[in-house]
Amino acid sequence: MIRAHALTKRFPAGKGETRTAVDAIDFVVEPGRVTGFLGPNGAGKSTTMRMILGLDAPTSGTVSVNGHRYADSPAPLREIGALLDAHAIHPGRSARDHLRWLAASNGIPTTRVGEVLDLVGLESVAGQRAGRFSLGMGQRLGIAAAMLGDPPVVVLDEPVNGLDPEGIRWVRTFARQLADEGRTVFISSHLMSEMALMADHLLVIGRGQILADCSMTEFMSDHATSYVRVKAPALGDAATLLGGRGLDVSRVDDEIRVVGLDAAAIGDTLFRHGLAVHELTLVRSSLEDAFMTLTADSVEYHAMTEGAAR
Amino acid sequence: MTATLMESGAVVERADVARPTFAAVLRAEWVKLRTVRSTWWTLVATFVLGAGLTTLICWGNADWLASPEADESPGSFITWGMMIAQITAVVLGALVVTTEYGTGMIRTTFAAVPARGRVLAAKSLLVVALLGVVGTVTAFVGYAGGNYFLDREGIGMSMSGDVLRSMYGSGLYLAGIGLFTIAVGFLLRHTAGTISIVLALMLILGNMVNLIPGAFGEWVTKLMPGNAGSPISTPVSFNPNLFDAWTGFAVFCLEIAVLLVAAYVVVKRRDA
Ligand SMILES: Nc1ncnc2c1ncn2[C@@H]1O[C@H](COP(=O)(O)OP(=O)(O)OP(=O)(O)O)[C@@H](O)[C@H]1O
Ligand SMILES: [Mg+2]
Repeated sequence: MIRAHALTKRFPAGKGETRTAVDAIDFVVEPGRVTGFLGPNGAGKSTTMRMILGLDAPTSGTVSVNGHRYADSPAPLREIGALLDAHAIHPGRSARDHLRWLAASNGIPTTRVGEVLDLVGLESVAGQRAGRFSLGMGQRLGIAAAMLGDPPVVVLDEPVNGLDPEGIRWVRTFARQLADEGRTVFISSHLMSEMALMADHLLVIGRGQILADCSMTEFMSDHATSYVRVKAPALGDAATLLGGRGLDVSRVDDEIRVVGLDAAAIGDTLFRHGLAVHELTLVRSSLEDAFMTLTADSVEYHAMTEGAAR
Repeated sequence: MTATLMESGAVVERADVARPTFAAVLRAEWVKLRTVRSTWWTLVATFVLGAGLTTLICWGNADWLASPEADESPGSFITWGMMIAQITAVVLGALVVTTEYGTGMIRTTFAAVPARGRVLAAKSLLVVALLGVVGTVTAFVGYAGGNYFLDREGIGMSMSGDVLRSMYGSGLYLAGIGLFTIAVGFLLRHTAGTISIVLALMLILGNMVNLIPGAFGEWVTKLMPGNAGSPISTPVSFNPNLFDAWTGFAVFCLEIAVLLVAAYVVVKRRDA
């Protein structure tokens, strides 16, 4: 279990000013489920994770792992396993040697090194210099390192970044398995589509603030809105009729969008009033759209392209 | 202290898990050190440069040193290669620290060992031990090679007194330099910066301050880390105005201690 209370981190931003990367956030990451930590670039995900691991000192507030400060942990690697940056490995050292020193540092038996290499499927390349590893192999090595101490809490910062579909599926299955074993699994990402498939619980962060803290299903029903698109020759009459029934109707170009009634009922209503219908479609906005809407005000870096400049 | 642990699929509380002991951290740092090639390259270079150049310089200067016009002592030549070998000690001290910052692996290290002082101590201890042993062995081999040529001219030196002291003194000096660089490495976190600053301090600035006039200049020269530390590594210093061997080495150790304390404080406070 990870518990943050009023956790805040400010970085100096030159000229005596500071920049608030994490802004007094409160959250609890519960065991037995995958918690997705979702936010656009620069939202404060990595900073939060570094504070969990005692690498960055919070400006104010606290964060605890299994009830105490991480730095006070009696056995750090057996308590929390983390993948922060898959590139953070000496390129000249082999995967096996990398895991060996890590194991030695926490008195973990060397036999465990072979086990985690098996676990992530790297045993055949374990003797190779890590500098030759592909991105996916690096991520796997990072996950192997996180699992060395068989920890009850696993923190992964963007574990699927740069992975191919096969690798992504592997991480997803792996995370699920860890949660099913009763572990606390905390995974960051900036892709909603990825989280939708992996997470049971969602923690959305934007500009250092928590924007949503709810179950995945809740998030879907709350944020993934749907409407029925209606196209008809007498569009104005249809809009007036449906609007008169207390439905939320909006007219966009050559269609109307109706919220609050399913397509069949809308079709029946229009038919009863003798109005011809040319199209009747249920349109669901994607979770990605929902996420974009939620974080729209908190995105730090807008691309100046037509699509994104809406 | 209790810890929440995972055991075969179940979370359990266990009271018997120990914090990573210093011995464990030392073992981890040793695995790190011996599993990269740069460690072995720098040690081999230390040996080859130290012993090889001493032999070469004694071969080249033996007949001049034996002649009446010689105004230097053979004692200044018998560990001459160490002046160059110290460069590789600087490189080793720097790499042990700065490659971790360069790759970002320092975060993995500090996440595994939150007591950061232990990491600093373990790295220091290993580098001191390695350079101490390699430096001493190098000096002995250099002596064997160099003294062969000095002997031929009848100016050979016996392995006793200041000559003997300069042998393990070479080990002590290299160990000190490695430690000095480790401290600077933790402060600067950057490979090229660390190596160039330490080398400039030892090799260039140490000589330039000679130009400062008066007693002030004399003291600054004596106190420069390279000038204070190096007399222990040679039976007779080229520069007669430096501290004598043990006084100088004590000053050098004090300077290292100050830097190490600074490094410890900074590393403990700074975000990794
Ligand atoms: N060491 C640092 N010094 C100064 N500013 C920093 C530092 N680390 C992070 N920041 C700033 O803090 C903010 C949050 O960064 P962080 O890396 O936590 O975001 P993130 O959510 O992980 O983003 P991404 O998805 O790009 O990884 C950013 O504005 C970043 O510029
Ligand atoms: Mg990040």
